[in-house]
Amino acid sequence: MAEEKTRLWLMFPARLITRPIIWELAKKFEVVTNIRQASITDEVGLLSLSFQGERSEIKAAIAWLEEMGVKVEPVEINTIEG
Amino acid sequence: MENSFFSNLKCRECGKLYPKQAIHVCDFDFGPLEAVYDYEAIRGKLTRQLIESRPQSMWRYRELLPIDGEPTVGRQVGFTPLVKADRLAKALGIRELYIKNDTVNYPTLSFKDRVVSVALSRARELGFEVVACASTGNLANSVAANAASAGLKSYVLIPADLEQGKVLGSLVYGTQVVAIHGAYDQVNRLCSEIAGKYGWGFVNVNLRPYYAEGSKTMGFEIAEQLGWRLPQHTVIPMASGSLLTKIHKAYKEFIDLGLVEKTPFSVHGAQATGCSPISTSLKRGSDLVKPVAKPQTIAKSLAIGTPADGYYAIHSMNQTGGSADDCSDEEIIEGIRLLAEHEGIFAETAGGVTVGCAKKLIASGKIPADSSAVLCITGNGLKTQEALLNQCGAPRVINPSLREFEDQIYQPDLAAAF
Ligand SMILES: Cc1ncc(COP(=O)(O)O)c(C=O)c1O
Ligand SMILES: [Zn+2]
Repeated sequence: MAEEKTRLWLMFPARLITRPIIWELAKKFEVVTNIRQASITDEVGLLSLSFQGERSEIKAAIAWLEEMGVKVEPVEINTIEG
Repeated sequence: MENSFFSNLKCRECGKLYPKQAIHVCDFDFGPLEAVYDYEAIRGKLTRQLIESRPQSMWRYRELLPIDGEPTVGRQVGFTPLVKADRLAKALGIRELYIKNDTVNYPTLSFKDRVVSVALSRARELGFEVVACASTGNLANSVAANAASAGLKSYVLIPADLEQGKVLGSLVYGTQVVAIHGAYDQVNRLCSEIAGKYGWGFVNVNLRPYYAEGSKTMGFEIAEQLGWRLPQHTVIPMASGSLLTKIHKAYKEFIDLGLVEKTPFSVHGAQATGCSPISTSLKRGSDLVKPVAKPQTIAKSLAIGTPADGYYAIHSMNQTGGSADDCSDEEIIEGIRLLAEHEGIFAETAGGVTVGCAKKLIASGKIPADSSAVLCITGNGLKTQEALLNQCGAPRVINPSLREFEDQIYQPDLAAAF
């Protein structure tokens, strides 16, 4: 099983900002998280980080985040134009 | 000639320098990388006279473009007309108005040929044999055409619901057109996965720092064509926001290099109401861009819900005292018709957005009536004809008879009465 590393942007809606989601994620999944940038206002939380782990674990962690209402995007998405 | 002026890529967030490779994100903070130049070396060497002595294409500013050798793709791109638009100025209520007319850019009739000629020239220098892009249409047309002429294999990924003209305008060049079901976000997602997995040159992913610089040439040309001065106001359509930030950068570079005088200028952004993440957050006074999940507008070329450069575009507008607005589908069509009926220029929906928003900005005084403005018209109307279906009337059909002509079309007596 191959280890993978993915670079992501997470966007938290206001209702999730106070919840320790990254801590919960680390307990639930075999994924190493490494935070690179964060910005939080009372409207939205933005976090850029990398996930390292098996592809299946990373996929499961992303699915779990999305299920809770966190928007998850690969950082490359933020570079794409028309 | 080896270009010794393009020195590095640099992170816009932390300023870390990177080598000039096919990379686009900073390892530390994932910030976007941007091309930087040795301005000290360029200053004094790049003069108005030198530029004017060169062929009329975007490459006359090549010291400020990020390739090492001579351009090999798109050497004829750019230097489109800057049209003094007196009739439209009157209609919009402004003293002086110009149209930067990229509806006739070579070869695919949009400003995207500027970015693609840089991206593919650089792709060749870096040894890529396959190039690709994610696109709302115009970029796909340009990648397909320029790759064909350069003998590169190409893949273009587009949303499945694009205008016929834009789909055909890619297929004809023999590119691999991949139309993707689902929201535009899904196109992006897939692209980022493909870009990560295969060693292709994605013009707007791993070649982005090179690609994006091509947009500066629109700003350089505007300044030169105005007689080496900056316009007081420039209105620019925004999808990702890249073009706006690059026109801002172009004006600053010309000031820094002493090619134009430092006079006040503002850059203003235009979006469609159905996909206006950047103008909406600027109006709210925020620089946090909230994505639009389901863009809904006839201006499909501008329908990017997660604009990569939204944050930077907002800063460009704020720094220059610019503003932003958005306009509805009806206002877009009105804008297309205003431009066509007053200046004889047929723009695509993005041009309608620019004219429609300019009209609002002038009416509200954000662009003062006694000032001078340039509108960036970035794409050709022949590509988005669906948008005008049943909007411009229909031809009146008669038999080949003079009597019918005079009965139904033209009454000389009535005409004389006017
Ligand atoms: C005709 C036209 N105008 C303007 C734009 C906006 O470009 P940017 O993504 O640089 O904001 C696009 C992008 O696709 C376009 O096709
Ligand atoms: Zn950085």
